Amino acid sequence: MIEAITILVGFVIIASTAWLGPKSARIAAPLLLAGMLYIGGRAGWGQLTGVILAVGGGALAYFFAPLRVLRRVAFLVPSLVLLIYTTTLLMYRAPGNPFAGEKVADPQVEMALRAHYGVPKDATQFFFVYMHRLVVEGTLGPSIKVAGRSVEELIGPALPVSISIGLLALALACAIGLTLGVCAGLRPNSLADYGSMTLVLFGISLPNFVIGALFIIIFALKLGWLPVAGWGGYRHLIMPAFTLALPYAAYVARLARSGTLEVMQQDFIRTARAKGLPRNIIVLKHALKGSLLPVVSFLGPAAAGIMTGSFVVETLFGVPGIGQWFVKGAINRDYSVVLGTAIIYSGLITSFNLVVDLAYAWLDPRVRGTL
Amino acid sequence: MRNAPSNSHAVDVPAEAGRSLRQDALCRLKENRMALVGAALIVLILLACFAVPTLLHLDPVTTDPQNQKLPPSARYWFGTDNLGRDYFARVLVGGQTSLLVGFAATAASVFVGVFYGAVAGYYGGKVDDVMMRLVDFLYGIPYMFLVIIIMLMFSETARGEALPVFLALGLVQWLDMARVIRGQVLTLRRREFVLAARLLGASGPRIILTHILPNALGVILVYATLTVPAVIILESFLSFLGLGVTLSWGELVAEAVGVVNPIRSYWWLLLWPSLFLGLTLFSLNFLGDGLRDATDPRSRKL
Amino acid sequence: MYRTLISVLLAFAFTLLLVGLTFSASLDAAPDYRFINGTEPKTLDPHLATGEPENRIISALFEGLTRYDPKTLEAAPGVAERWTLSSDLKTYTFHLRKNAVWSNGRPITAADFIYSWKRVLDPALGGEYAYILFPVQFAEAYNAYKSYAEAIRGPLKAKLAALIEKNDSIDAARWQKFLAEADAHGPLKATEQKVLRDLLTFKQGSLNREQLNAFSQGLDLEAKLLLEKNAEARQKLGKTAGFMAPDEHTFVVELKAPTPYFLEITSFYPSMPVPRFVIEQPGNDSDWFTPKKIVSNGPFLLKTWNVNERIRLNKNSTYWGHAEVRTNALDVLPTEQLTTSLNMYLTGEADWLTNNLYPSDLVQDLRRRADFHSGPALTVYYYRFNNKKKPFNDVRVRHALNLAVDRKLIVERVLGLGQLPAVSFVPPGMLGYDSPPSKIGLDLALARELLAQAGFPGGQGFPEVGILYNTNETHKKIAEVIADQLKRNLGVAAKAYNQEWQSYISTVRGQGYDIARAAWVGDYSDPNTFLDMWVTNGGNNQTGFSSPIYDQLIAYAGNLEPFLANPEGLLAHLKEPAMIRQELEGARAGSVAQKSAAWGKIRMQLMREAESILVQDEFPIMPIYFYVNSDLVNPRLRGFYSELEFRDGKRAPNFKGIHPLRDIWVEKGQP
Repeated sequence: MIEAITILVGFVIIASTAWLGPKSARIAAPLLLAGMLYIGGRAGWGQLTGVILAVGGGALAYFFAPLRVLRRVAFLVPSLVLLIYTTTLLMYRAPGNPFAGEKVADPQVEMALRAHYGVPKDATQFFFVYMHRLVVEGTLGPSIKVAGRSVEELIGPALPVSISIGLLALALACAIGLTLGVCAGLRPNSLADYGSMTLVLFGISLPNFVIGALFIIIFALKLGWLPVAGWGGYRHLIMPAFTLALPYAAYVARLARSGTLEVMQQDFIRTARAKGLPRNIIVLKHALKGSLLPVVSFLGPAAAGIMTGSFVVETLFGVPGIGQWFVKGAINRDYSVVLGTAIIYSGLITSFNLVVDLAYAWLDPRVRGTL
Repeated sequence: MRNAPSNSHAVDVPAEAGRSLRQDALCRLKENRMALVGAALIVLILLACFAVPTLLHLDPVTTDPQNQKLPPSARYWFGTDNLGRDYFARVLVGGQTSLLVGFAATAASVFVGVFYGAVAGYYGGKVDDVMMRLVDFLYGIPYMFLVIIIMLMFSETARGEALPVFLALGLVQWLDMARVIRGQVLTLRRREFVLAARLLGASGPRIILTHILPNALGVILVYATLTVPAVIILESFLSFLGLGVTLSWGELVAEAVGVVNPIRSYWWLLLWPSLFLGLTLFSLNFLGDGLRDATDPRSRKL
Repeated sequence: MYRTLISVLLAFAFTLLLVGLTFSASLDAAPDYRFINGTEPKTLDPHLATGEPENRIISALFEGLTRYDPKTLEAAPGVAERWTLSSDLKTYTFHLRKNAVWSNGRPITAADFIYSWKRVLDPALGGEYAYILFPVQFAEAYNAYKSYAEAIRGPLKAKLAALIEKNDSIDAARWQKFLAEADAHGPLKATEQKVLRDLLTFKQGSLNREQLNAFSQGLDLEAKLLLEKNAEARQKLGKTAGFMAPDEHTFVVELKAPTPYFLEITSFYPSMPVPRFVIEQPGNDSDWFTPKKIVSNGPFLLKTWNVNERIRLNKNSTYWGHAEVRTNALDVLPTEQLTTSLNMYLTGEADWLTNNLYPSDLVQDLRRRADFHSGPALTVYYYRFNNKKKPFNDVRVRHALNLAVDRKLIVERVLGLGQLPAVSFVPPGMLGYDSPPSKIGLDLALARELLAQAGFPGGQGFPEVGILYNTNETHKKIAEVIADQLKRNLGVAAKAYNQEWQSYISTVRGQGYDIARAAWVGDYSDPNTFLDMWVTNGGNNQTGFSSPIYDQLIAYAGNLEPFLANPEGLLAHLKEPAMIRQELEGARAGSVAQKSAAWGKIRMQLMREAESILVQDEFPIMPIYFYVNSDLVNPRLRGFYSELEFRDGKRAPNFKGIHPLRDIWVEKGQP
């Protein structure tokens, strides 16, 4: 009961950030941002870096950030806290606990273990322990299942791996999708159009691990050009990135196509055509911007999807990224690992959405004003 | 001038005045051959998965260690799996689960999403802001994350069942539907017939139910048709990670992918469920596209 | 204008740059070779680790007094450059080399070994391999006597009190069952009180209350004695008894009895030294072995440990033998899925796929490859008979059942990994030991005759037999096949049933089974590790089998002195007494080397006699097959010996599957 009320309250706080006035937003957001940068900086590089980052970031936000951005930042922090709380509740509610191993532990041993790892029996207590550890000590806590390692030690090396695959996949999805989609959109109802859109449908009609398995069979097992699994060089990056990118390339292609179609119908294109401008210039100069808009607004959720599609791709290719940590942590009930990955994912997605918002605004002058 | 009334009027009547929105859509849908093929395929697959196993008394569960991993033959049309079970039976019965979960989860998410989005869109203002904030918050959480956590809330024994999976998937998919419906309702809200209904004193819920939703039906249908394949694919992800339903296409495909090696090819383990899965999803996507093109007057008209 | 296009391209380029940067953040230089090790190691603390994957890495990071010679697996100088054995074969003196150092430059001294051995024996640490050092004087007292005393004083006495309260007398069978369920044999195994020993082996008749009370009093005394011994051990161990350091570079070990395999123990990782100066720093107790903190003394250093990705080992230039280490860097890869591991090996991502890490249904194809190396392992898979229960208490029945099982079929059809059918209990290939000829095999005619003699012609009247196994696909298959064979060959109705691990253990301990599946892994390559479990009421016996001659043979194999003092008593009962008689002289007189050799031969012969009781006379168990080690090794990897080669040309299988990373290297210039 109490938990439900707490969640409700937390949510009200988050919702209210939608109505933060310019003055309050300009104060609240930089403060929150500074707080986060301090914690993060201190955890990663020490006290001094934390302070520098905090002051720098806070000042930048105060003086330069548009209202929209400030509101998003103000939204971010309480929603992270709420996320931690809710996830903790859900995990505690699940049957089984991390200390129920094969060797039947007697209650004394379990109590000792719980004390050692800081995992009390009550969810709310754990929440406070965790937040205290996070804010005051600057650590994500010890992993319960992997002896002697803190969560940041485990996730740390995994983060660059997931980011590099994710970024490459995103770039590939855009490149492939835009090319296919714009071309199709420029030649509607032609063979190229039907052909590429059918191809694109294949990308979303099979789970990505099936496509990935086919890649493995062809490129790794039969041809031997690329490594079958693992991590250790640019060659290991290629198949996972492509596998991850393809479904999103499909979506991007469809969006780009309809975006292009819409733009090409517009009056100003007709004017340009009437003026006798060659087609290429029309496309590049005018239409592209317009067709990019829906693609850009899709990129936010796409990034989220890429990061989570990574669970499957990382498992398939044995890539040591964050995805597999989340899955393992959840299955093993390693609470700190799950929370750590949740925080990172949420943080990344929100930041990415922010970047996308800014990009969208920059691309569409009509939106710029509302910033 | 089709369907022109025999007695001419002074007013100029546009050629298609006699057709309702629905008839119009249906007509255009029929013209889209690919979409029709898709629909037909789906019906065929549904028949195959639900009718054939009972008709032919297929047995997907009995293991037979002597006959493991056999390629297709006269006796085992699709071959056998790693425990000697009849793969033909498994693919068809697995289809039952995948399709059921797909449709059920979609139905659930449509139900929740439509009402949520309609309320947010209709009442607008602060209500809308708050409701969409929740959606934003949930969007910030990677959906697989939510799904996995929800799955783990069920005990080990319950986990292979369909119910937890469909709950988990349905609970996550409604966000998209809510957003789309909200957008639709926002535009529909300004239409004259809604204004008229309001003036006549109809209450909010009544307006939503009787006026707005029927007009948004096209969009709902389109998105529902496109959600089913997304859900089926999500379920296959869960199977790959070990959390899916015990017998489904996703599970079969995941197992097949797990035994790919260069020494012995077990191609039949991967081919059949992928074929069924791919065809189903392809058809659903095509059908959804067709529906979208048919109900959206602006598309494809150049 | 083109600005948009350019900005798009720039964004793309920037992305790729970011990718490249974050990407290179997670890379080291290329290793000489990579191998797939099995599961991710849980710990690299030599005193707490228990698995094969941990073993390989720990043995590369640390080094004990001795190490394994890669070609023969005999003890080669490690931290100790030479050692001597006293004439009574009970005291080793190790001379440590002066240039052995920790990786931070600190020299390794005998004090390090004192600290380390005490640490592994410390009951508070809970190391599972502490028992490996029990041949050392006072080691068991230090490690286990306190908990034995507590077990006696606590649960055992309580249960006994409850038993006495409820019963005026108790018959032998129930008494033995009580002893098994109350876990009485463990804490009391070394008792010297006659009253306790007699009552522990009480087999016939019934006990009255007086005797039970005497037992109870004996327990009190025993607990007291154990605690005293424990106190003495804590006082003396490491200082004046057990093991000592007379000076910085000398380490002396006193054994309870001559232990021919002791030098295997000093190469084995639980006896390796650990850096006190790191472990004792605050906060280090659970992660002192992580890359940032670890200090080690072996041929390699722990450079990187990315969990679930790989472990990088770099050559340790401070290691005394670094000139002999021909590898600069190697990667240890963990794996979850057998198919992926195999694929990685086959595509060249890994150069060595260790023990059996491939899907079993591909074995027939893999066995034909030149890079597939397999050999017998030190593990036996067998069935226990409940020797106390009708009809298994009749030796003819046990013999008949042993003769009716087609082991070859099981090994080839059900398993297919190249395992060996087993008709004896000790796996083959132990140097210096020849298993006695066995009367077990496939002989249906004899089996049927024996069964008829026992009173069950054609299987008539034979009760339905339950074959118990712990839940596992393979055990199930084998049990079902054997049940089927017994039915077809003998007309004996048998049914396979399973229990999960905990229940299975408890059922077997309480002897509530007919036939139960089991497996035994040897801890060191000496037949004793397979034979000492069958002594009367031995903790791992659990069959009710008891043979006083067998007990004597095993006891003497553990300590020859009493035997040598008076051999004739036992020799009269043996089958090949001449083999022992010819060694007696050398065993009593002669140089340390001669004595050692003679003692060794006598020991081996005694154990051969013991095993002959198992496989020629009594058949308390049904051996089924011996496990097999198999590895896939890329030919460019050298120093891998799946067959041991001795200086005199003799060969033996490498059944411990030990391939020290120190001595593996890559032949340059090979593809």
